[in-house]
Amino acid sequence: MLLIHCPYCEDTLPELEFTYAGEAHIARPADPSALSDEEWRDFLFIRTNARGPHYERWRHIGCGRFFNALRDTVSDRFLMTYKAGEARPTLTNEAAE
Amino acid sequence: MTNQKHQFDASPVVVEDLAPALRLSLRVKPAHRATLGQALGLDLPARVGACKVAGGTEALCLGPDEWLITAPEGTDLATPARAVYATAPHSLVDISDREITLRLSGPAVLDLLAACCPRNVAAMPVGSAARTVFDSATVILWRDGPTDFRMDIWRSFVPHVRSLLSQVQGEIAAGL
Amino acid sequence: MSRFRIPGKGRVDHSAPVSFTFDGKTYRGLRGDTVASALLANGVHLMGRSFKYHRPRGPVTAGSEEPNALIGTSRGAGRFEPNTRATVQELRAGLVTESQNKWPSLSFDIGAVNDRAYMLFSAGFYYKTFMWPKSFWDKVYEPVIRGAAGLGKSPTEVDPDHYASRYLHTDVLIVGAGPAGIAAALAAAQSGADVTLVDENAEMGGSLLSDPAVQIDGKPAWDWVDAQLGRLRAAGVRLMTRTTAIGYYHQNMVGLCQRLTDHLDNPPKGAPRERMWRVRAGQVVLAQGALEKPLVFDGNDRPGVMLAGAAQTYLHRYGVKVGDSPAVLTSHDSAWYAAFDLADNGARVAAIIDTRDVVRPDLLDGARKRGIEVLAGHTVTTTRGRLRVKSVRAAPVRGTHVGRGRDIPCDCLLMSGGWTPSLHLFSHTKGSLAWDADGNTFLPDRKTEECEIAGAGRGLWGYQAVLADGAAAGLRALQGLGRAGHEGRFTVANDRPGTGVSHTELPTDGNAGKARAFIDFQNDVTAKDIRLAVREGMRSIEHVKRYTTNGMATDQGKMSNINGLMIAADALGKAPPQVGLTTFRPPYTPTSFGAFCGYLRGETFQLTRKTPIDSWAEANGAVFEPVAQWRRAWYFPKPGEDMHAAVLRECKATRASLGIFDASTLGKIEVAGPDAVEFMNRMYTNPWTKLAPGRCRYGLLLGEDGFIRDDGVIGRLSPDLFHVTTTTGGAARVLTMMEDYLQTEWPDLDVWLTSTTEQWATVALNGPNALAMLKPLVQGVDWDDFPHMSCAECTVAGLPARLFRLSFTGEIGFEVNVPARHGLALWTALMEAGKPYDICPYGTETMHVLRAEKGYIIVGQDTDGTVTPADAGLDWAVGKAKKDFVGKRSLSRPDITAKGRKQLVGLLTEDGSPLQEGAQIVLDPNQPKPMKMVGHVTSSYQSTMGHPIAMAVIEGGFDKMGETVFIPMPDGVRKARVTSTVFYDPDNTRLKA
Repeated sequence: MLLIHCPYCEDTLPELEFTYAGEAHIARPADPSALSDEEWRDFLFIRTNARGPHYERWRHIGCGRFFNALRDTVSDRFLMTYKAGEARPTLTNEAAE
Repeated sequence: MTNQKHQFDASPVVVEDLAPALRLSLRVKPAHRATLGQALGLDLPARVGACKVAGGTEALCLGPDEWLITAPEGTDLATPARAVYATAPHSLVDISDREITLRLSGPAVLDLLAACCPRNVAAMPVGSAARTVFDSATVILWRDGPTDFRMDIWRSFVPHVRSLLSQVQGEIAAGL
Repeated sequence: MSRFRIPGKGRVDHSAPVSFTFDGKTYRGLRGDTVASALLANGVHLMGRSFKYHRPRGPVTAGSEEPNALIGTSRGAGRFEPNTRATVQELRAGLVTESQNKWPSLSFDIGAVNDRAYMLFSAGFYYKTFMWPKSFWDKVYEPVIRGAAGLGKSPTEVDPDHYASRYLHTDVLIVGAGPAGIAAALAAAQSGADVTLVDENAEMGGSLLSDPAVQIDGKPAWDWVDAQLGRLRAAGVRLMTRTTAIGYYHQNMVGLCQRLTDHLDNPPKGAPRERMWRVRAGQVVLAQGALEKPLVFDGNDRPGVMLAGAAQTYLHRYGVKVGDSPAVLTSHDSAWYAAFDLADNGARVAAIIDTRDVVRPDLLDGARKRGIEVLAGHTVTTTRGRLRVKSVRAAPVRGTHVGRGRDIPCDCLLMSGGWTPSLHLFSHTKGSLAWDADGNTFLPDRKTEECEIAGAGRGLWGYQAVLADGAAAGLRALQGLGRAGHEGRFTVANDRPGTGVSHTELPTDGNAGKARAFIDFQNDVTAKDIRLAVREGMRSIEHVKRYTTNGMATDQGKMSNINGLMIAADALGKAPPQVGLTTFRPPYTPTSFGAFCGYLRGETFQLTRKTPIDSWAEANGAVFEPVAQWRRAWYFPKPGEDMHAAVLRECKATRASLGIFDASTLGKIEVAGPDAVEFMNRMYTNPWTKLAPGRCRYGLLLGEDGFIRDDGVIGRLSPDLFHVTTTTGGAARVLTMMEDYLQTEWPDLDVWLTSTTEQWATVALNGPNALAMLKPLVQGVDWDDFPHMSCAECTVAGLPARLFRLSFTGEIGFEVNVPARHGLALWTALMEAGKPYDICPYGTETMHVLRAEKGYIIVGQDTDGTVTPADAGLDWAVGKAKKDFVGKRSLSRPDITAKGRKQLVGLLTEDGSPLQEGAQIVLDPNQPKPMKMVGHVTSSYQSTMGHPIAMAVIEGGFDKMGETVFIPMPDGVRKARVTSTVFYDPDNTRLKA
């Protein structure tokens, strides 16, 4: 069972208080009707399925907020978490270690 | 042989039902928090888990835009809130009947909670609260004193939570 | 007094005898004994039979790593447990134990014929032998193998004990309370850190309990242990005995299984048998010590052959001499001390046989002083004796040449092949191991967790070294928490340092091909099996393991892994680190299912939600069904009625006059704020802008993929306030989905969502008399302006209410919502007021029949996540003029608009027989198999119209109206006509009062 840092509660809490919510930084297009079938398909279904650092979303039961996380899918370790709407942080060597 | 004394206090824990109170869910954007607080005569704390009490009315910050307000039954907070709705849009929903409040207390209450709460309840400061999980039920837990807690449980989950609590009370009473 | 018990010696209570039985015979042990120590005190070494060859076996260890002495224990009715390690099970009054894997008796066992035929049962035996004829597998081989297989017998009764769980958060968790663990705890307990020290044994002290002559800081070992435990207790350290760390998981989460009552004569009422602790530690110190390795030689499994360290433990902790005339075979210094201690306690040590040519002078002196014969540079080539060792054959070794041997009479043989650190928990963390060429062992290397490894667990030997290492590890743990402390120092007298060498199987003067030199005692894997596996092409240690079953016994290779590796590496001509170890996985020792289950059994097996009206349903004979997490009244049978009769009566009563239904489980969401209508427009397919306050509308919710996710009737109570209902099972999911959009896609909207599912109790009234019955109870509704699909805030039966006029049955219908505390009062009031109309309570089954007759879908039953609004015939609910809503773009995807999609239709069978939900549909029943399936039955009921009805999804179903399709069933093919889904009152005349 992992420990996850909630960026809204500013507390590190047990995984049982959290639910996974898919890959992060996939914004809903402002005007879906303007998208080609292929573009819309990619938005719906195509995911990075990263081996290693993965940008993903979690939700904390405690504060009810969705937030973003960078988690290594090999070690299952959270490298960082940050609030929804914040820019995708670049992966520094420090975080990767 | 060395006799290993058991380390865990076997003193009892008490589980009581608390009488219904007015319970409101307030949702408002942080920019209008102060306006709403002023209208309701409450200091709405900004930190998740923080509680502020004023004259029998308590505001608990559950999320960046979410407060749980509890007050004696009959308290009218809807009217003053409505008065500022145009300038400070918000949602104020009566959920008095959604949850049942239990009071959990006694010297072994931390053991009782640790049976089913993965969160470090012992580390919660007195006067704070948290929405967390008890077994598979989402609950709100207030620490009113070192060994004095309140727990809000959605009504339909109460039979399950009660059954767990009584099982754990049994083991605490057995001293093991 | 038992013959092998030394009066007054050990940590057992000599004044407290405890009676127990083993295979029907009563024995006496002492308080503090294990079953194994008590039997040994009575001269009993034979405690079981091995798994494959049924060879007689005795305990080889004195701890949880025991592979041989597995027994069945019974603590009364329903409390039988197989495969209990006799070396762990503490004595309690009235304990009944039995040996396993034998018939008719332990000393004479028919199954031992396998042992004579051992040449047939070599490694990979199953894979090679039962290959053909193929047809024999199911009927002959498998049943016979299954009958003979299995270790111990399973209990047949429900376990009457209960099991507890607990979370624990601690600064430092120390696993193992031997000298290193205690020293670590003393260091970590400084500066007010919260420290937890656990040990799997009944008491703390570890190896010091078996080495009482050692002196620490001027105190005898046991006094020192007592004093330190007292200090730790005073410092508030949590001390937990009988507590096994079974697994080490991410971020310093350690699972502990604590055994609470198995050792008690009279457990307190209500006490759990075991408790599973889920510990989150800031720092972990692993001080688990080392496990002694057996030596591998012919006959090394005979009862009476055991590890030297175990004999030392039996002597000092339990006051039991494991034999009168032990011989010792060792490649490590430590066994010499065991020989000395036994000699000092009245045993006549037959000989110390050391595989090494050169032995430390002080050890040789010690032997000489005690008159013990020393055979350095010797090996043991075989042992003799049927149910107990009688003699060993010792022979000199020069290089690879084994000289002439001689028989040495003895009644037990104490062996030591050196020590291997207990790496299991460290391996759980995926920490890497490094080969230590000097010690011929793996040591913990790169760490992945905040942990320290101390003492013999990282290859150190001797109390001085181990104590210093434990103290340093404890201090590092403390510093890891950002706290400071000083490092403790210990002065040790009478220390017992030691070194040794490692071996593959020992050299022999006999026929090596016939040697029965065991590596995995429980699974009967010999050195020969490992070499055979390598010869037959197994290169990876993982393959060798699976081919031979080495390390797959209940001790998980604690005894066998390193010996197996050394021999496999030798056979492969590689260095051991190039071959590597198999993976250790949790649990560290066998753990009861009960401990894993904890509270999740019986009525708390799964969370069950109950409505405010549940108690009335129960009192009135409802049969319940689970729906999502809820238990719902399914139907209300009257005496003599079966389900079919009850449901038909409920349906007819509702259609004829008035039915009442508990709909409290429906999900409810309050959508409030200035942007509420904009939000509803974006989420739901329907248009909401023109829905006037006081009116409601059926709402359809899609995923972005265009498939139906949920539906429900939604009322607009005021311009800024919607009362949304969802399906029972969808409530939480829908709220989460809406919150997700609101928080992450449209944070600019001023609208908020609140779950009110449990705020309101909901009672549905349906039937031609619903309006007449309800009207007099309602205040605050203008009935002239309250048509079908209206809603209002009012009072019903004097209770504050939200009233909806809607129908899920095709009859005039209402849903009355009152605050949940009044739910039961409302129900009772409506039942009373409904008497003149023969009001009939109905359950979910009747609700299903009535809605199916009207063709109303149930999301999740008639849809399955691949159904679009058009597929379900719900195109009318899609606001096509809206520019966007969730899922809209997908409705024009090519595969969604393509021909031949499965569409929801009705089915009527030709012969009037009912269809089964889930049955597959074909167009031609005579086509060759596998047939082309074009759809399946989604709903099927007996209806109020005298014939069954069904709904189905069928490829191109809308174009097949009136056509015949076929449903092949085991008892014959059904023919059915494709119809509209609306079977009852297609013109909705009954809704208009």
